[in-house]
Amino acid sequence: MSVESEQFNIGEMMFHHTADAHELDFGGYIIHLPQWEPIHIAGMAIDLSPTRHVVFLILAAVIVLGLMWAAARGIEKARKDGVAPRGFAGMMEMIVLYVRNEIAIANIGEEEGARWAPFIMTLFFLILVANLLGLIPFGSSPTGNLAMTGALAFIVFLAIEVGGMVKLGFKGYMHTIFPKVEGLSGAGAVAMSLGMAPIEVLSKLVKPFALAVRLFGNMTAGHFVLLSLFGIVFMFSNLGIWSAGIGLVTGAVVVGIMFLEIIVALLQAYVFALLSAVFIGMMQHEH
Amino acid sequence: MPILLLSTEGGALPGPFQPTPALAVWTVLVFVVVFVILAKQLFPVIVRATAEREETIKQQLAEAKQMHAEAQVALEEQRKLLAGARSEATALMAEARTAADRERSLAVEKTRAEQDDMLARARHDIEAQRIRAIADLRREAVDLAIAAAGKVIGQSFDGADDRKLVEEYLGSIGKSS
Repeated sequence: MSVESEQFNIGEMMFHHTADAHELDFGGYIIHLPQWEPIHIAGMAIDLSPTRHVVFLILAAVIVLGLMWAAARGIEKARKDGVAPRGFAGMMEMIVLYVRNEIAIANIGEEEGARWAPFIMTLFFLILVANLLGLIPFGSSPTGNLAMTGALAFIVFLAIEVGGMVKLGFKGYMHTIFPKVEGLSGAGAVAMSLGMAPIEVLSKLVKPFALAVRLFGNMTAGHFVLLSLFGIVFMFSNLGIWSAGIGLVTGAVVVGIMFLEIIVALLQAYVFALLSAVFIGMMQHEH
Repeated sequence: MPILLLSTEGGALPGPFQPTPALAVWTVLVFVVVFVILAKQLFPVIVRATAEREETIKQQLAEAKQMHAEAQVALEEQRKLLAGARSEATALMAEARTAADRERSLAVEKTRAEQDDMLARARHDIEAQRIRAIADLRREAVDLAIAAAGKVIGQSFDGADDRKLVEEYLGSIGKSS
């Protein structure tokens, strides 16, 4: 539908709120973000101008660092006092330890898990806060953009493969692409190993692809559901007394869906971190 | 509509299904910065406190286990000592009982012997007294008989032959009775 149309267009509204933009929209109060000249890398022009999702990504990073700084301060104070942390610091410590012990160490192993824990925890907290930012009024969720989820998945892909190469050595790592086939030897084993290689490579690429698409799909779908429900209110705004009834019912449903979205935000951060840990663990313990 | 604003400056941005490369670059940069700060500065503080508490709890658990083991050993020793003391006490009691029985038997034996001895002595004394009494009685009887006979016949019977005669008579009476 044309944007010049006076009639409310639910599709446009949904795209406007979920797509990236060069401004921040606070209910009509627009802040235009600066636009820089694109930089040229390997023949590609990349526009690094900050967008709405970039701003909210940086905001998510600041919130994560702020929360962790406050938690670390509270925990350190409690440690010096010789007591267990309480309140906010205690809660954050519990979450951090859960991610460390139940996601990182449980899936990667005692020794390697402790080493990979900061990476998994950074993924979890950054994704969690980025997810939740889409639920606040005038907020936006950068995890609803395939660029962010793809970039995170790419980081995880690098972590899996580079970490695997460091752990297994070059020869060991190559066996994850050209697997040893049990029960075969000679030309048959080589042929089978070469035949398996494309499947193994595809398997390596599918994992981060699934991570990226899952997170993006869940966050975008959640926003679409919420925005569709909001759209219903505006679509039926000219029905007199019925409009109020529809508005009330829709509002109640939206509140319910919002609670569901909070759970989805938590769950998707957990799933992303958990699967990353599982994939890293699988590579670390590959024989 | 607000969607117009997408195309106000620098052309329209892609929709939600088209990724923006800039965001990908920013994501990598932001992630690296956050990861470095968290991994180097903040997570170690959070995890260190917990690790120390875990270590303390582990230490306390180990100490408690050791103390429990020591207490078990001590308890076992006490049980053994108690059992030993009990059997020793039983043996002592049995020995004491045997000694007491022996002592009692000896005392009873001694008392009985003394009693028998005393009885024998008493019997002997009584016999002696009896013999003496009989002898006295006989002498008195002889004296009385001589005196009576002297009065009857009017002459004295105090000769030795007379006395002998009376004594023999009395002796024959004693034998016949």
